Formats: sequence, C-alpha cells, structure tokens
Amino acid sequence: MAAATATATAAEEEARLLRLEEQAEHGGGGAWEYLSLARRLRARRPAPVLRLGLALLNDASARSRLAAEQWTLYEQVAVAAMDCQRLDVAKDCIGVLSKQFPGSVRVARLEALLFEAKGDWADAERAYALILETNPFDQIVHKRKIAIAKAQGDMSLAVDYLNKYLELFMADHDAWRELAEIYVSLQMYKQAAFCYEELILAQPTIPLYHLAYAEVLYTLGGLENLQTAKKYYASTIQLTGGKNTRALFGVCLCSSAISQLTKGRNKEEDSSELQSLAAEALLKAYKQHASSKEALVAGMLKNMKLS
Amino acid sequence: MAEELVLDTAIRDWVLIPLSVVMVLIGVLRYFVSKLMRSPPSASPSPDPKAVKEGQLVIRARNLRTSSQFIPAKAFKARKLYYTDGERGLLHVPKEDAQKAQAAMFSDPNMAMDMMKKNLSMIVPQTLTFAWVNFFFSGFVAAKIPFPLTQRFRGMLQNGIDLSTVDVSYVSSRSWYFLNLFGLRGLFSLILGEENATDDATKMMQMGGGMGFNPAMSLGAEKDSLDIIQHDWALPKMEHHAEEVLRKLLKK
Repeated sequence: MAAATATATAAEEEARLLRLEEQAEHGGGGAWEYLSLARRLRARRPAPVLRLGLALLNDASARSRLAAEQWTLYEQVAVAAMDCQRLDVAKDCIGVLSKQFPGSVRVARLEALLFEAKGDWADAERAYALILETNPFDQIVHKRKIAIAKAQGDMSLAVDYLNKYLELFMADHDAWRELAEIYVSLQMYKQAAFCYEELILAQPTIPLYHLAYAEVLYTLGGLENLQTAKKYYASTIQLTGGKNTRALFGVCLCSSAISQLTKGRNKEEDSSELQSLAAEALLKAYKQHASSKEALVAGMLKNMKLS
Repeated sequence: MAEELVLDTAIRDWVLIPLSVVMVLIGVLRYFVSKLMRSPPSASPSPDPKAVKEGQLVIRARNLRTSSQFIPAKAFKARKLYYTDGERGLLHVPKEDAQKAQAAMFSDPNMAMDMMKKNLSMIVPQTLTFAWVNFFFSGFVAAKIPFPLTQRFRGMLQNGIDLSTVDVSYVSSRSWYFLNLFGLRGLFSLILGEENATDDATKMMQMGGGMGFNPAMSLGAEKDSLDIIQHDWALPKMEHHAEEVLRKLLKK
C-alpha cells in the first residue's frame, strides 16, 4: 500500500483525502489515516482535522494505540485549533507537548504561534527572537516574523524582513513569490518584475509566473515593456494550451496598446496574427461558457480593432 | 608431498574456536563502543551562515544557467553581472578565502576529535588482540584447509612459522587471527545490520569523500559555466508556438 500511495499523483491523493474525510466524518473510521494523509499533503483543512483529531485525543485507548505518534497528532490538532480560533484547545495541546518535550524548539514555535493567534504581536516577536538566538537559521521562524509584520499591516517592514531573509535563503522561491505579491500591492512594479523573473528562472514551466510577470510589465507600460509583456502572455497561452482567459485578454490589450503607441508604423508585422487569433479564441470561449456576455466581449474587441 | 600432520583436537577446542569467538565478540563490542563515542550528530552547532548562503547561491546561479532563455536579455545581463562580475560578483571567491576554507576544515577541532575517536576505537582493540594472540598462540599450526594452495599463499596462511616444508594448506594460529580479522566483515553486517561501524574500508572512503566537498570550488565552477553561456531568449519563439496552439484550439 505504501508503494501504491507513493506512485499516486497529487490529484489522486487529494481525492483520496476528501474521500477519507467523508468517511471519517460519517463515523466510518479511518480518522487516523485521514489525519496522517492531511499532514503529509500539508492540506489545510482545520475544521475536520480539529474535530477528528480531538476525538482521537480524547479517546484514551485510541491515543495509547498511537504510542509515539500521538505527539505529532497533538501538534497537528494544536495548529488546526489555532486556525479555527479554538485557542483553549490549542493551549491544552501545547501544554501537554511542552510537558512531554521541555526545551524543544518545535514546541517553542507552537507557543509563539499561539501568541500570534491571540494577536499578541509583541509576545510572539519576543518568543521568535528567543528561538532565533539558538537557531539563527530557522526558516520557519523567519517566515513567521514576516507573517507577523504582514498581519500588522506593516508592509514595508515585511519587505525588509523578506529581503533580509532572501539574502540568506535566496533559493526559496516561495519567499520570492511572497515578496513579488507584496511589491505588487505596494505598486512597486519594477521590484515585483525582478521577483517574477527570479520565479520564472526557478520554475520556468509554471504559467502563472509568466502571466504575473506579463501583467506587471503591462502595468509598467512603455513600448518595450508592452512588447515583452505580450511575449509572456503568449508563453502563458502556450503553457496553458490557450485555456487561460486572462492571457488571451492580455495579448489583445497589449497589441492594442502597442499599436496605439507606434501609431501605425507597425514594426512587428509578423506577430499580427496572434492577437486576432487570441480574440477569436476569446469569443469562442465566451460562446461556450458565458454566452450572455459574448456580445459585450465582441463589442470591446471591436473597439480595440481586433476583430 | 609432506607427511600428513595430525592436529590435536585440543587445538581445535582451545585455539581455533575460541579465537574466532573472541574475534566476533570484539567486533561486536567495538561496534557498540564506537556508537557510544560518536558525538550526537544533530547536537553540532548551527551551520555556518556562509555555508548556508553559498549553498543557496549555487542553486540560484544554477537556475539562472539552466533557464536563462526564459527571461529577457536585459534581466539576464543584469543577473550575470551580479553573479560573475570580477571582484564584486557574488560568485567571486577571493584566493585567500578558498585556502582559508580548506584550512578551517582541517583545523575544525570537532572533526579532528571525531576522527581520532574513530581511529582509536579501531586501533586499540586491534593492537590488544594481536598482542594477546601473539603471546598465547604463536608458532603452531592451528587448522588445515581442505584444498591445496600454491607457495604464494605461505606468507598469508603460515605467518609466524618459518618452515618451508610444511604444506601450504596448513594455517598457523597467527594467520588464523588475520583471516578472522579481515574475513568477518560479512558476518558483522549480518549481525549488526548493514551500517555497522566495523567496515573500515568504506569508512576510509567516506572520510576521503567528505574532505573533497569544497563550497568555494563549486562557486568557482558555477561562475565559469555562467561565464560561457550565451543568452538565447526563447520568448519570441513562444509567440509562434502560441499562434499554433490557438489555431489548433480554434479548429476544434
């Protein structure tokens, strides 16, 4: 069975997770299996995890059957409880854990997380600083600090922390993504573009990064950026097989903006077909999925002189 | 052929079997002692920030190298400069720094200590058992192997007996000790599991391999390969691909 789950794809695993959840919720057993799978997939389903995990923990015989695994369950339930704002449950779980593992960094992290859940930012910061004193390279703690800054709405502090973090862990693309999104929200598009370039370098086959990069470039404006943006919209179309409506719209918008800027002296004659194809694909997609809005799109495209 | 030698059964009961048993027991004992003496691996101090950074840097530079065609030429040039620019580039390693890294590796007291412990746990019991065997059981024939061998094996099998007339298939007691010392490895891996600490040869290999890793070197290699790559933007081609994709989609 272990081999079977290993070969299963992520989608299958997710389907299995939902199936197990259904089964466990209706008293069909398999709660522990569900919880293990949720932990392995890092699925964020706090409500069922809390309900099922708490039921397991409250059942003394079930808990003793788990032996050493019960501590992981305590941790999982504590995090789920914080997600559901059941801080009393989380506190109990963490209390049990800290009695079992005094001085553990993992428990200290949970305790700090509890402060965060309560909104005691100062206490949480202090707790994290304490952990960092002994483990200065704890990536999770660094990320939590960034999350605290973000939760307080202090975006420039979050950017500061993120930059400091990325100076050390520069291959962490999740952090690059976070930084890119923050930069976009701060309207610092040049910096955001740099981050998206970094993301594309790290994972060149993910169309979402191409799309986001194109959007940032389009927002920046200017002929060169628009042309580049159009290319990235095109690569998104290629990577998604033309299914991404946003990219189709992007190509149309870019080409109309470019033709406005160049005022007829169209240098890029060779790619003139792309936007008309994109417009056609858009119309077709609207006809299929939202026929009531087709006229609207057709009118808009006509305005852009694309169809 | 020389006359058959008759070996006393007492030799079998008091030399051959005890010697083998003692060798096995010592091997097992050594395994547990070295396990005890090994310093706990995770308790080592937190990793050096420079090493962490260099590891990440290599990954990032490698990303740039392998997927450079996906970013615009301007972005690529800026990054290339950022990594490989003469003295200021991130991948630049000062000469003395590289040497320092090597020196630091050797002078790391923890590492030297670990190695000494390992060696100690290997050498001390070996010397002791050898002295013990030499003292009690030297100079007589302890066993006979059931097949004939050529003269070349005399040194291996009849260590401690300087007689050229004895048939080579007779094994001296000291040689029996050596045979056990080197031949019990398979037995240990059966008793103690695959990763037993008694496998000296592989340990030597690991020691050599561990020394070979040098972050400064990998930085330099990455810099060289970054230096030579040409930027070939793949995106203009993507437009044509996209056109084809859309055409196919519209035909459906």
